[in-house]
Parts: sequence; C-alpha cells; structure tokens
Amino acid sequence: MTVPRTNDGDGRTADEQRGDGDERTASPSSATAATDPLLRIENLHKSYGAEEVLRGVSLEIDRGDVEVLVGPSGSGKSTLLQCLNRLTEIDSGHIYLGDTEVTASETDPNEIRQQIGMVFQDINLFAHLTARKNITLGLRKVRGMSAEAARERADSELDRVGLADQADSYPAQLSGGQKQRVGIARALAMDPEVMLFDEPTSALDPELSNEVLAVMDELVDEGMTMVVVTHEMRFARGAASGITFLADGQIVERGPPDRLFENPSHERTAQFFENISHDHD
Amino acid sequence: MDLTLWLGQSLAALAHRPDGVLAVAETVPALVDPVAAGPLQAGDWEFVAANADYLLGGTVLTVLLTVTSLVLGFLLGFPAGAIEVYGDGVLRTLVRKFGVVLRGTPIIVIMIFTYYVLPIEIPINAIVAVLTAVDAALGPTPFTVPTSVPDTFMAATLALGFRSAAYQSQIFRGALESIDEGQLAAARSIGMSRLEGIRHVVVPQALRRSVPGFQNEFTIVLKDTSIAFAIGLAELLKRSHDLFLQQTTAVLEIVLFMSLIYFVLTFAVNRTLDYGSNYFAIPGDSS
Repeated sequence: MTVPRTNDGDGRTADEQRGDGDERTASPSSATAATDPLLRIENLHKSYGAEEVLRGVSLEIDRGDVEVLVGPSGSGKSTLLQCLNRLTEIDSGHIYLGDTEVTASETDPNEIRQQIGMVFQDINLFAHLTARKNITLGLRKVRGMSAEAARERADSELDRVGLADQADSYPAQLSGGQKQRVGIARALAMDPEVMLFDEPTSALDPELSNEVLAVMDELVDEGMTMVVVTHEMRFARGAASGITFLADGQIVERGPPDRLFENPSHERTAQFFENISHDHD
Repeated sequence: MDLTLWLGQSLAALAHRPDGVLAVAETVPALVDPVAAGPLQAGDWEFVAANADYLLGGTVLTVLLTVTSLVLGFLLGFPAGAIEVYGDGVLRTLVRKFGVVLRGTPIIVIMIFTYYVLPIEIPINAIVAVLTAVDAALGPTPFTVPTSVPDTFMAATLALGFRSAAYQSQIFRGALESIDEGQLAAARSIGMSRLEGIRHVVVPQALRRSVPGFQNEFTIVLKDTSIAFAIGLAELLKRSHDLFLQQTTAVLEIVLFMSLIYFVLTFAVNRTLDYGSNYFAIPGDSS
C-alpha cells in the first residue's frame, strides 16, 4: 500500500487514489468535489475549564504532506493533535478527513480513528502483550481479522520498523526506541490515511530518538500524510512540507521550513527557534 | 522456653482471672484446670484423633463457606470496583456508599443481620429451586447434588460475601486505577471503544495486579468464616468448641489442632496464588 506523494497539491489525483483503495463507506462526493486537502481544520476552539487552549485554529494539510507543529509548551499543539482523532472533543469548529467530517455527531469516532493513526509521547504500548500482540489486538478486535492474517500483518509491520526479531518480546523487555517503533507499527497496521505523532521522541535518549526518526523518515519517503508535534528541528528541516508555529492556542505563522527557520515574519517565531536551538545543541 | 508449657500456663492464668475474661470458663464452670490436668496429655490427643473426622467435616464446611463467600464477593466486588473507577452518577454514588457502610460495620453484626433480620428463605428457596433443577437435569450421578441449603450457611455466605465484596471492590479499584490511562487512549486510537479498551487492555493487567490484595482478602475471609460460630453454623470452630465442651481437658490440644488446619489452608492457598501470580506475570515487568 504505497501511496505516491502528491506534493504538488494536485487534488484530483489524491481524490482518485482515495477512491481506489478505500473500503470505508464513501460518502457520495457532492458537487463541491474539490476537497483538495486531506485534512481540513476550521476554526477550532477548545477550553479546559476557564482556560482556552485552542483559540480558533484553522489549517489545511494535503495528502502526502508532512506538517510539523511547533511552539512553546502549553501552546495547544498536543491538544490540537488529540482533537484530530477525537480523543479530545472540541468545543466548536470543524475537522474534515477527505469528505468525512470527523467532528460530526453522526461520525463514529471508533471508525474514524482507524483512519487516523496516532503515536504517543508516552508510547503507551499494551504492557501485558508482546510486540506482535500489541499489533494484532486491533486487527483482531476492531478489524475482525483471523488470528493468522493478523499475525502475518503484524509481522510485516514489525519488519517495516526493523523489529522482526522482537515480535515475541514484551514492552518491558524493549528499549525506549524499540517500544516507540512498535507503537508506530501498531498504528500503521490499521492502514491509516494520516499519522499523528505527538512528540514521539521526547521521552527518549538522543541515540534512541534517531532510530525512531529513521522510521519516520521512511514513512515520509513512502508518502504518508503526517502531522508531527516535535522539537526535533533536524527532522522538521529535512522532512516537513510545512511548519506551523503555535502560541497561546493560535497559529502565529505557517510556512515552508526554510522560510520559517531562516526568515520568520514574527518576532515571536524567531525568538522560539532561537531558544530551542540553544536547548537542543 | 517450652512453648506448649507456656501456652498451657497462659491459658490457666486466663481461666483464673477473677473477671472471667475467658468466656469458656464462665459458660462451662466444669472446665478442668489445665495446669492441674497437665497440658498436652496423651489421652487428650487420642480424643482429638478419635474425633478427627468430625473436625475435618467442619473443615470441609469452612472451605465451602470460604469459596461461596469469595465467589459472591468477586461477582459483586469486581463490578463494584469497575463502577467506582469508570461509572458515574447515581450508580457510582450508591456503590460507594454501600461499600463505606459495609466496611464500617463489624462482620459479626453483618452476620447477625443476615441471619436474624433478612428474610433468608427467599434466597434459599431460589437456590434450592436451581439445585433441584440441576439435579433433575443431570439424572442419576455418582455424587449427590445437594438440594437443601442450611439457613446458617446462607446467612454466613451473604454476610461474608457482601463484606468481602466491599473490600474486593477496593482491591480492584486500586488495580484498575494503577494502569496508566495512556494505554486506554492508545486502544481507542486504533478504533477500539472505551469498553473494548477496558476489557482487552486494562482489565487483564489490573487482574494481575490485584493478586496480592486478593491473597490478603482470601486469608481474611477464610479466618472470618469462624465468625459463623455466632449463628451456630457447624464449621471448624463450632465443632472444635463442641468437642472441648465434651472433654474439657482437651481444650489446648483441640485449639492447636484447629489452628494448624487454618494455617495449612491459608498457607497452601497463598503459595498456590503466588505460583499462579508468577506464572501469569508479564515478562520483564518488575511491578
């Protein structure tokens, strides 16, 4: 299932590809078939009590794009990510994945989450299951696959992240980097259209981060659409198609990595990149 | 120091307390002075040996009561713990309050309540009906299906079972809460419902973590079956009591023998649960 990247934003191509290999009940595409971006976020608001964490965020991400979200802690990056697959319910606004409105009340969140893979900062492997069974659980219980088919699929995903030899290891027997690669394989096994990464390396030592970043780089090469919250500026520079800088629940600015790194339009953005380049070198 | 001699002397001292602290000494004025009779007489051990099957019958009842109480406690306590963690609204409030009341009441008071206050015939009739139906359905069997339930046994099971449920709910609540929420979020992120995530991810881990607490609970329930003495159930303590009223010189020997049985039971089950816990332990997991 290799989806070629469509960096040029050719919406028609993307639509056709989606039409082909798609087993979900395709909603009849309306007259406004030009739903170019794969992921469309409109005017998102979210508050925790009196604190408004997202204050009107809008963003469009094309199929095959890699959008890196950066910003100071508390800026709402992680909340935004969790809203995208409805692990957190929003207060107002809209999120669309292709033609489906993720945030619509009639959309089954369990259905939509299969199409939106998620990788967590805390990794969150199922501690009582081997690496292989971490992957087969969803395939068996959610997809209803046979034990054998699920096992085959799990092994091929483990192979994809370079852990074929660790299929029978339990999470506590794996290094942090290995665990996170299993986490990625677990999400990939559900055939998601988009992958969300919530600071996937921030709990890891630098050397372990690299093996995770290498897997993510491969996904980028395969054309996976990704939304990544990270402080790994090397990854952002090398892989991102766009960088979004968030602060205080709002998008301060967005642009291609080169422009944002070299020539940000806002003082706040410049200040942020200045700070983290000191922290991380 | 000779332990048995010391025990005998202590008992004798107790029996001679002017305030009559030793209840047995009061109810049975004919109790022979253990020191005068000499502790651990060979004849008294013969008396124990001669009545061993009578005591073992009581042991069977003790074990049976432990099992029914723990099963009832699990069937009520596990959902109660889950409701306390995941439930909301009236149900959760009710479960919590019920647990607080049960944990705040002495077990003997609960048992007197179930025996003297509750209309105990209602659950008995229901269970007898089930047992009779099972007996009829099975046809002739090499064993006899019991088709009656003594009211003392029923009352003791209800009291110990509900009390155990109140404690088991706390064991399971703690275990469920100890599984970090991220795993449930991860389960939901691949399309499992919250309930599926709880069932396939949280519960299997929580059950493992509740084994040490459950070992405690098992030991407590086993030993507290002796409280059924108060409502006249012929379990191990009641039968021991009957015996040393018959031969009062044998009280020390009978108490020792009874204690040994309780100890062997708790020890054996704890070791078995240890073994089971190790067998099901998650490899590499230090917790």
